[in-house]
Amino acid sequence: MTAIPNNTSPARLAGAAILALLAALALFGPLLVPGDPFGQSLVKSLGGPDAAAPLGYDHLGRSLFHRLAHALRLSPAIALGAVATAGAAGLILGTWAAAQGGWVDRILATLADALLALPGLLLVLIVLAIMPGTAFGFWAGLSLVLWVEFFRLTRATSRAVLASPAVEAAQLLGFGWPYIFRTHLWPEIAPVMLTAAAFGTATAIMAIAALGFVSVGMRAPTPELGLMMVELLPYWREAPSALLTPVIATFALLMGLTLLAGSRET
Amino acid sequence: MSLLQLNEISVHDGATQLIAPVSLTLEPGVPLIILGETGSGKSLLAQAVMGTLPQGLTARGRITLGKDALDPAQPARFRALWGRRIAVLPQEPWLSLDPLMRAAPQIAETHHLVRGLTRSDAAAQAQKDLAALDLAAVGQRYPHELSGGMAQRVAIAAARAGGARIVIADEPTKGLDAARRDDVARLLLDALGRDGGLAVITHDLALAQMIGGQIIIMREGKVVEAGQTSAVFAAPTATYTRDLIAADPAHWPARSTLSMPVPGLAPAAPVVAAKGLSLSRGGQRLIEDLDIAVHPGRVLGITGPSGCGKSSLGDVLLGLLAPDAGAVTRAPGLPRTALQKLYQDPVAAFPPRRALGMTLADVAALHGARAQDIPAQMERLRLDPALLNRLPGAVSGGELQRLALLRVMLARPAFIFADEPTSRLDPITQREVITLLRKVATEDGVAVVLVSHDMALIDKTADRVVRLGLGGQEQAPVLQDAFAG
Amino acid sequence: MTILLNRLVQAAMVAIIVGVSTFAMMRALPGDAAYRIAAGRYGYDNVTAAAADAVRAELGLDAHWFPALLQWLGDLVRLDFGVSLVSGQPVMQEIVHQLGASLWLALAAVGLSLLMGPPLGILAGLRPGGLLDRVLLVVSTGLKSIPQFLMALILILSVQMGWLPAAGYGQSRHFILPALALALGLAAVNARITRDAMARITEMPFYRFAGWKGLRHGQVLRRHGLRNVAVPLLTYLGLQFVTLIEGVVVIETIVGWPGIGHALVHAVFARDVPMVQGTALVLGLGFVLINTVIDLTVRRIDPRGRT
Repeated sequence: MTAIPNNTSPARLAGAAILALLAALALFGPLLVPGDPFGQSLVKSLGGPDAAAPLGYDHLGRSLFHRLAHALRLSPAIALGAVATAGAAGLILGTWAAAQGGWVDRILATLADALLALPGLLLVLIVLAIMPGTAFGFWAGLSLVLWVEFFRLTRATSRAVLASPAVEAAQLLGFGWPYIFRTHLWPEIAPVMLTAAAFGTATAIMAIAALGFVSVGMRAPTPELGLMMVELLPYWREAPSALLTPVIATFALLMGLTLLAGSRET
Repeated sequence: MSLLQLNEISVHDGATQLIAPVSLTLEPGVPLIILGETGSGKSLLAQAVMGTLPQGLTARGRITLGKDALDPAQPARFRALWGRRIAVLPQEPWLSLDPLMRAAPQIAETHHLVRGLTRSDAAAQAQKDLAALDLAAVGQRYPHELSGGMAQRVAIAAARAGGARIVIADEPTKGLDAARRDDVARLLLDALGRDGGLAVITHDLALAQMIGGQIIIMREGKVVEAGQTSAVFAAPTATYTRDLIAADPAHWPARSTLSMPVPGLAPAAPVVAAKGLSLSRGGQRLIEDLDIAVHPGRVLGITGPSGCGKSSLGDVLLGLLAPDAGAVTRAPGLPRTALQKLYQDPVAAFPPRRALGMTLADVAALHGARAQDIPAQMERLRLDPALLNRLPGAVSGGELQRLALLRVMLARPAFIFADEPTSRLDPITQREVITLLRKVATEDGVAVVLVSHDMALIDKTADRVVRLGLGGQEQAPVLQDAFAG
Repeated sequence: MTILLNRLVQAAMVAIIVGVSTFAMMRALPGDAAYRIAAGRYGYDNVTAAAADAVRAELGLDAHWFPALLQWLGDLVRLDFGVSLVSGQPVMQEIVHQLGASLWLALAAVGLSLLMGPPLGILAGLRPGGLLDRVLLVVSTGLKSIPQFLMALILILSVQMGWLPAAGYGQSRHFILPALALALGLAAVNARITRDAMARITEMPFYRFAGWKGLRHGQVLRRHGLRNVAVPLLTYLGLQFVTLIEGVVVIETIVGWPGIGHALVHAVFARDVPMVQGTALVLGLGFVLINTVIDLTVRRIDPRGRT
C-alpha cells in the first residue's frame, strides 16, 4: 500500500521541493549554526545578520534564524499530528459509513454537516480554552475540525466504489473485506487523501498562525510564525527584513503545500 | 443539382493520414449512410464536413455546398453554415438539450436568433413544430421530464429550426433498443422529405437498411465499399462487408438445440430455479409470477426493452436482490461463489489500477486454481498472454469481456448471469464473444442466463427464451419454450 | 421539502455542538468561575460571597455535570444566552449590535470577490490552457497561499505607505481595506470554481449543440453558459461562507472592526462564555440559513433536483 500519486506533475514536484527545503532549514539549520531561539541580547535589538544569527535579530535581540527554525518545527509538527489523527479518523469513519449505510451513515453525516457549519477557527478557539496546554489544544481542536473533510471525501469515494460492478464482482468471486479495501477502495481513496492532507496541513498551519497573529494562539516567548509577525509588526519601518522573515517563510510553506496538493478535482 | 459534394476529403494528424481521400455526393431526397465501427473514421469524416475536428487534426480537399466552394482546411468559416445550411442531430438527444431550459424555448431561440423571427413569432413557430411532432403538450417541460424519444424529437426540431436543408445525424440510435430504433429511422426519413439532404453516420446495420439510399462503408480510415444500400446488403463485394453482415445476429445460423447433447450430464436438475417470482422497481411492477429454471450446459435467453427488469431479474437469481414475491432455489451444496456474473461494461467490473494478470492471479489463488490454469484458459479463449500486463482500460472491449469470462471461470461456476455482455461491442467481436460463452457453457456444463435487448441474438443463441414486456401487469412475460415447439 | 427538514436537523445539531462545547468551556474555566461571573456582572468591588453563591446556584456550577448540561441546553433552546461576563449586558443585545457591522463587511467582501473571480473564471474557462487561464492559475495559487491575516497585514502596510485609506469604522471608503483583504482570497477560489465549471460546460453536448443550431458564441454563452455555471458557483458560495466567517473573525480583530468576529475573539480571550456561546451560535445558524437560501435558489434555477 502506497500513497504516492502516479501523477507527479511539475507543480507537485516544485511543492515537494519547497517543503523539503523548509524542512531541511528547520531540522538541520540549528545544527549547522548552533544558537538559542530564546536568548535575548537587547544590545543587538533589530540588528543585522552576523555569524551567530544568519538572519539578524528581533526587537529583543533574539536570533531570527533560530526562532524561525523553531517555528518551522512547531506548527508543521502540530499540523501533521492533527492531519494524521483527522485522516485516520476520517478514513475509518468514512468507509464505515459508506459500507454500513443506514443509521450509522446518517448520524455520522449529520454530525459532519453540523461541524461544517461552524467556522474551524471558532472550534479551535473553544477547544484551546478547554484543553490544558496550547500545543495539545491546537492538536485536539484542529483534529476535530479537519476530520470532517477526510470523512466526506472517503465516504463519497467509498460509496461510488462500493456501488461499482467491480466490487460486486469481487464479492461474487468470494473476496473478503480486507481484499476489497486493499485493491478497490484504497487505490481510489489514497490520491484524494493525499490532496486533502496537503490542504489540511495548510489549513492547520494557517489557523495556528492566524490565532498567533491575533494573540489568542501560542503565547510568547514561543517562536511561532503568526506570533513572530505580530511582535515584529511595530518595527516594520526600522527592520522590514525582520518582519519579512516569518512572512516569507509562511508564504513558502503554504505555497509548497498548495502546489503539493495539486488540483482539487483529482 | 447535388446538395453537398465532398472532393478528395482527407484528415491528417500532422504527417499521419487518418482518413484516406474520400469523395461522395449528397443528392436531394436520397439519404446517404456512412457505416463503420468505432475507430473506422466515420465520425472524423463528419467532423471534417462540419468544421469541428479536434485540435491538431486538419482536413484537406474540397467541399461544395450548393453553389459555394469551401476549404475544409479553414474550419472557422464553417460556423456560419451551422443551423442555416447544415443541421446536426447530436448523438445523445437528452444530453444535447440545456437541462435548465424548457423544451419549447430551446426550439424558439433558433427561430428567433438564427432565422430572425420576432420573439412571439418564434414562440408560435416552436409550438407549431412541436405539434407537428405530436409534442404539443410537452413544450413547457424540462429535458429531464421528457422521455428519450421526446427528447430526440425536440432536438430534431431545434436543429432544423434554422432552416437548413441538409441534416447530418451522428449515431442517432446509440444505446437504443429495436423499437426505438425504428422510430428514429422513421423520423429521419420524415425530416428528409423530397428535396432535403440526409447523411446518417452509424454502426447499426438494421438502421442502415431501414434508411436505404446510398451507403459507404468505412474501415480504418478507408472506404471499403460504396453503392446503393439495398444492393450492398444483397451482394456485398468487400470481405469486410461480408463479415460485417454475417456477424449481424439476424444472419447467424439458427441453433438446433436438440442436436446438442450436454456431455456427461444426464437430464439434470436445474442449477437455479425461480417460482412465482414478482419484482418491482420504483413502485412499478415489472415482473409478475414468473417461473424459470436454468439447467447445466444450457443457455436461457432473456430479452425485452430497456427498463423491463432484465438486470434486476438477474440480481434476484444471483441472490443480490430480494424479490417481492416468489422463491429462488439453487441446487443443494452449491457454494456461494458458484454463481457468477458478466457485466455490460467490463471496464467497470475490474479494479481500474491493478494489472489484469494480478487480478486474475488473485482469483486463481483464492479458488485454489493452479498457476498453469490461467495460460490454458487464455489459450482456450484465444487471448494474448501479453494482455496480462495491462490495465483494464488499456485493452479492447472484446478482449476485456473474454478476460472477464476467464476470471469467472477460475471460480468454477455452476451458473453465469451475463447481463448484455456484448452490447458495447462491434458485431464481429460480439459474435466471437457469444460463441465462446456458448462453448464454455456447453463444455463445462455451466448454466447461463444471457440477457440482451437484441431479439435476434437471443433467438440464435439461447436454448430457451423469456421475453419480458415493459411494465404493467397486463403485459405479463411470455415464456417461449424452444423445446416445446 | 426535504431541503428544509435536512437544514433544520443541521441547525439543531449546530446548536447542540455549540451548547456542549461552551458548557465544557464553562466547566474548564480556571479558578472560581462563580466569582468571575459575579464580578463580571456586578463589578469586582461589589462581589460578595453571597453574590457568588447565588451565581453558583443559578448556573448549577456545584451540581453534577449532567443535570447542569441539560439546564444549559434548556436555556439555549429558549434563546436565553444570559448576560456577558465582561460588560454585564444581555448577550442578545450585544450580538444584534455587532451583527450589522459584520454583515456589511461580509457582503462587501462577497460582492467584491464576485466582481473579480467569476468574470475572470468564465473567460479562462472558455479557453482552457490559454494565456489567461495559465496566468489565472498562477495568481490564484499564489493568493490561496496567503492567509487572510497576512493579506490584511500586507494591506495595512500599503495603508502605511499611503496607498490606501487607514483602518477604522464608519466611513464607506474604510470598507475597502478589510473587504478587499477578504475578497482577494475568496476571488482566488471562486475564479477557479467558475473556470472549471465553464470549461466543463463548454465540453457538454448541449453547449456544442447550441452552436450547431446556429447560435453565435456570445449567444450560446449568454443563453446556455451562464445559468449552468451559476449552479455550481452558488453551491460553492454557500460553503465558502464558512471561510468568509473565519476571515471576518481574523480581519475584524486586526483592523478593529466592531463586529461579531471581533467580539468573539475578545470573548474567548476574556473567557466570557455566554458571549462565546451566543456569537458561535449566531455564526453557525447564519451558515445554515444562508445555505438554506442557496439551496432554494439553486432549486429555482435547476429543475432537476425537484421531484
